[in-house]
Amino acid sequence: MGIISFILIGSSLVFPAVALWALWWAGRHGQLTHADKASLLPFDEQEPVGRMTDVVLNRPKASTAAPGGVAR
Amino acid sequence: MSSPATPGVLAALSPRDADTSADRRAELAEIDASTSGTVLLFFLAGMVWLLIGTVFALLASYKLHAPEFLAGEAWLTFGRIRTAHLNAVIFGFSAEVAVGVMLWLMCRLCRVPLMAQSVINAAALFWNVGLTLGIVGILKGDTTGVEYLEMPKYATPILFVAFALIAVWTIVIFRFRREKHLYVSQWYLLAAVLWFPWLYSTAQILLVLEPARGTVQAAVNWWFGHNVLGLWFTPIGLAAIYYFLPKVIGRPIHSYYLSVLGFWTLALFYNWNGFHHLVGGPFPAWMITISIVASVMMIIPVVSTAINHHFTMVGHFGKLKYSPTLRFIVFGAVSYTVSSLQGVASSVRWFSEVAHFTHHTVAHAHWGMYAFFTMTMFGSMYYILPRITQREWPSERLISIHFWCTALGIILYVAPLSWGGWLQGKAMLDATVPFLDVVKITLPWLKLRTLTGLLLAVGHVAFFVNLVWILARRFGPYRQPEPMILAGVTPATPAGK
Repeated sequence: MGIISFILIGSSLVFPAVALWALWWAGRHGQLTHADKASLLPFDEQEPVGRMTDVVLNRPKASTAAPGGVAR
Repeated sequence: MSSPATPGVLAALSPRDADTSADRRAELAEIDASTSGTVLLFFLAGMVWLLIGTVFALLASYKLHAPEFLAGEAWLTFGRIRTAHLNAVIFGFSAEVAVGVMLWLMCRLCRVPLMAQSVINAAALFWNVGLTLGIVGILKGDTTGVEYLEMPKYATPILFVAFALIAVWTIVIFRFRREKHLYVSQWYLLAAVLWFPWLYSTAQILLVLEPARGTVQAAVNWWFGHNVLGLWFTPIGLAAIYYFLPKVIGRPIHSYYLSVLGFWTLALFYNWNGFHHLVGGPFPAWMITISIVASVMMIIPVVSTAINHHFTMVGHFGKLKYSPTLRFIVFGAVSYTVSSLQGVASSVRWFSEVAHFTHHTVAHAHWGMYAFFTMTMFGSMYYILPRITQREWPSERLISIHFWCTALGIILYVAPLSWGGWLQGKAMLDATVPFLDVVKITLPWLKLRTLTGLLLAVGHVAFFVNLVWILARRFGPYRQPEPMILAGVTPATPAGK
């Protein structure tokens, strides 16, 4: 059990330490600020804000405008 | 030191064009194409396990009110079938689909193609070999008897190696990200791939390989059992919601700060929650009390997440009409809030003393793992599959059948069973009620559970048919009559089709 205890106690110390380091790293590299930029990360030029990206059901005819500004 | 002419191992694994400007964004279609085979492999294997797990579930549920059914075969007895169901849907369906969604999300958010797919494909193969051995072992009677870790010890090392490969590869993808700023989904995904190997290896060592003694076993069991849901499946489910909800409706998340607060408070409080399952057991009261306090503190991440999701959706509920992804994701997000608050209530002593050891706990587990996580994964697959197969969903009707059968099925499963479990608990605490009468109290709820299980099964089959259909289209002739509706990733018609 000696080695196993060492591994378990070690991991119990390492994981919180990694979490603290991650929090420190995030703060240092601006990951906890610049919220405006971060919230836009799922979007880009190809799939911009304001464009719905999953119109599968009840689709309007191709010739008509998509409802509510929905982009097809 | 390596010279510039001899790149290191990590550099050798990097995407071919990783030396371009960090601002340059890979084409989404290129990224989706790179993940295609691997993600499909995980999704398809996961869905096969879901169907197998559903059959086990129906058999187990039926046996609860008809115990003589198939009672003559040892490998079909309730203890084995129910355990096989749990492992098939947790480590088969949920884990595999979660890995598929995680890889796709990580590649998209890091804006890098999936590199050296054969490594991850090998991990998928290992995972399924280990899981098959484990499920067969359970049916043979080789179970360890430890909840959530029932698979025999000859199967679990294979699973661990497979997951270690997946975790390392996810970190490699992250290492080569082109987008330096992290989105909250990436925080959740990275934490999940680090937490699960820690949980799994620690629990395996202390419960199976070198078993601890006495109450430590119970402590480790519930530390693992609760955290595998809250620190592995929950982060991946929330990562998916935080990505797909804004993405589908085309609106950024309401408050990015709230999302970060939700992540860090989940990381801080969830790890302590498991011991509330031991209320009333032979276990140090102070440890249970700490666990209850941490469970109540979970209100912070849950409510902050709920506020964020709700205010992101405000004004966009009409879009539920068009998007299957949005339907499933919103259902999952609401269920996350409800099941988490139900979990907070269940941790309190007076509530737990009634509800524990009853069907109420079973209902709660399904509220979290199905209504939240599984529905979120279904929604994610509805978004991802057309993009990696370059084909639209073949049947709107099957999508509707899938959604309504699973949504109604799980509501009708969970709500009555929660109430039935509560009645069961109250009766069990009444010394004047004979135990057989307690069993009779549960019968109507158990029969309803089997019926709703059938409804869920119909939904699963409908989705599987649509999945096979979309794959058949992928490998068949190109029959797309209209331009793809996948805004932003409209592919060119394949040459020669």
